[in-house]
Amino acid sequence: MKIAISYPPIINEYGQKAMVSQNRNVQFFKEPTYLLPVTYAQAATYLKEMGYSVYWDDGNAQLKTFDEWLDDLTKEEPDVVVLESTTPVMKFYWNTVDRIKQELPNCIVIMTGYHSMRKPEETMKMCNADMVLRSSNVDFALHRLIPFIAENDNWRSDYQGDGMLIRLDNGELRSTGDFRHVEPLDSSPLVDRDFVQWKNYAYENGNFLQTPGTYASSVIRDCMFGKCTFCRYNGPDLTFSMMSVERSLDEYENLINNYGVKEIFDDSGVWYRGKEARQFAQGIIDRGLHKKDCYFGINTRFEYLDEETIKLMGEANFRFVLLGYEAADNETLQRLNKGYQLQHVEDCLRWLTKYGLHPHLTIMVGYYWQTQAQLDKTVSEVKRLMLRGLARTLQVTLCTPLDYTPYHEECIKERVLLTDNYDDFDMSKLIVKTPIPHDQYYKAVREMYSIAFHPRFILRQLVFLTSFKKRDWQFLFTYGLRAIRRVRQHIYNLTRHENSTTTKEFF
Amino acid sequence: MNTYPVLDIEHLSNNTFRLRVERPDIAIISGQCFNVGIPDLGINREYSMYSSADSKYLDFLIRSVDGGLISSELQKLKPGDLVEVDGAYGEFCLKDPLNKSLDYLFIATGTGIAPFHSFIKTYAKIKYKIVHGVRSVDECYNSNDYEDGAYISCISRPNSSDNPRRVTDYLRSSEIPVNTQVYICGNRNMIVDVLDILHAKGVSGDKIITEVFF
Repeated sequence: MKIAISYPPIINEYGQKAMVSQNRNVQFFKEPTYLLPVTYAQAATYLKEMGYSVYWDDGNAQLKTFDEWLDDLTKEEPDVVVLESTTPVMKFYWNTVDRIKQELPNCIVIMTGYHSMRKPEETMKMCNADMVLRSSNVDFALHRLIPFIAENDNWRSDYQGDGMLIRLDNGELRSTGDFRHVEPLDSSPLVDRDFVQWKNYAYENGNFLQTPGTYASSVIRDCMFGKCTFCRYNGPDLTFSMMSVERSLDEYENLINNYGVKEIFDDSGVWYRGKEARQFAQGIIDRGLHKKDCYFGINTRFEYLDEETIKLMGEANFRFVLLGYEAADNETLQRLNKGYQLQHVEDCLRWLTKYGLHPHLTIMVGYYWQTQAQLDKTVSEVKRLMLRGLARTLQVTLCTPLDYTPYHEECIKERVLLTDNYDDFDMSKLIVKTPIPHDQYYKAVREMYSIAFHPRFILRQLVFLTSFKKRDWQFLFTYGLRAIRRVRQHIYNLTRHENSTTTKEFF
Repeated sequence: MNTYPVLDIEHLSNNTFRLRVERPDIAIISGQCFNVGIPDLGINREYSMYSSADSKYLDFLIRSVDGGLISSELQKLKPGDLVEVDGAYGEFCLKDPLNKSLDYLFIATGTGIAPFHSFIKTYAKIKYKIVHGVRSVDECYNSNDYEDGAYISCISRPNSSDNPRRVTDYLRSSEIPVNTQVYICGNRNMIVDVLDILHAKGVSGDKIITEVFF
């Protein structure tokens, strides 16, 4: 049996490519970032280890056109195709499923991804997919499902594993209930780097200060907090599991020693904290991996890492630390269930900077309740933190309800959504009613990105050079140029709807 | 600043204690959790509420873990000290607590019993059974608070000549009606094992809700 894990290339009218993999909020970029979809790579590795023929088919990272991708897939004649999707590209995916079914009528098409798993009936209605997998644990689910399909002609009516919506031979749908069958994360194999052509993802990624870089097999599946309303890692269908520290260290050692990787990012929703975080950093030092010229990066939350742990991470050569700083007002943080208090933001950033790490803030604007005063506070606080050198980089996005997260459901309930066309959910414009004109949020986006060009910010980076740390020199001269390019792209994407009538008419 | 005074602290075993703090003036649903921290420490940890959602105070059942900065600091608190409390969060709540026809099975290890204690204190009329996995008998916290026969302890290292028993042993040998609403809270390895057992007994994922303690 041959299984294709497939990412069709998605290119918009401006010639920009969309990134779907690794559960990203879809954004279109002219110079895209190629992210290794870690869980799907683990699924591919798992199936390959079980003896199946697996076709790793990332049309984006392999720089194919859509037609080339479909042609190659058709030639491969897979028995099963697995697709990952999200709200803004659902219509594209439904069409793609039907194209695949047209070319390969006997092929079983499985739709996965957060949108489909929350609205499985919709996907089954809108396209000819054979099944929707209602879980983010694609590796474990396929590990059970594929052997059953291989051995049972009546798999559609007989498969008992939970979390599936299956199209029966008579066209009716059969649900096997909510997915609950979570297994220990250590049971899923580490990503087979050669098999997924890791070098396709090693260079074009703004998170890497030096290359080749790669994403680690995530140490956390879903999120240990899991309550932020706008986030996909939230809801009763998700749970939390953690990889053992030693296993993750083994993978890092392999990546550094055998693949020459220079930067490793763990894209777990939230990385280890407390005891495990300290054990991991100490393990890096004990194995001598901190002296191999490889940086390490993680996502974390404010109030998760204490100073002692951050100090150890600094010694272990951690560099990039991504923190969600969604707003600078308590009302918004409370409404988003963020779970941290503003008075601790500065402590965390100060510790990170003190021990040589590079904090990266991810900010959002355009919540349906966000007032001018709240927006101004966010802009001024972000500016203050950046100009004081407490954060090194930032990313601003328009808060877009997606994938039927609690925030998405709330927007529907409050009747603030301005569109129900999924194509409009691509984060290029605001799609909720807001108390102030949308242009004010776009202006705020531009203002925050422009901090990178502020003389005080540049001066601050020059001051960092006096520490004579390689990473600070790289930051200014290598990363700086790349950052300017990316900032221009972000500003273009996020503000090209400024002054457009489609947004203004709603006020 | 979301700081609240400690009202009481009761040490239930060597490393486990019940922390009682003043209740924030907010709506709380039984089963939710809070982020609890020590002022000026700059970090917090999530704890499920142990008390009724209607109480005038908030109770947390906390085990002090090796190397755990927050839990070890909380253990040292005295009445009048301040703690940071932020919340309430989460959806580990009963979907239909007023429906008297539902049978609930609550499965916990250690301090994972906290939300279930909160459920039974909040909703006096629910029909339930609690299966509680602990290492020793002194970890059967407040076991008298439950209805007669509703609390089943599974002690892995009993003091007496009793046979050691785990939650999974009990569940394997028990009949579980497929319509039972199952809530599982505690150690993730236990949850994985219990999910396997429930699946084998025909309990659908639709009937199961989990909360991992870490």
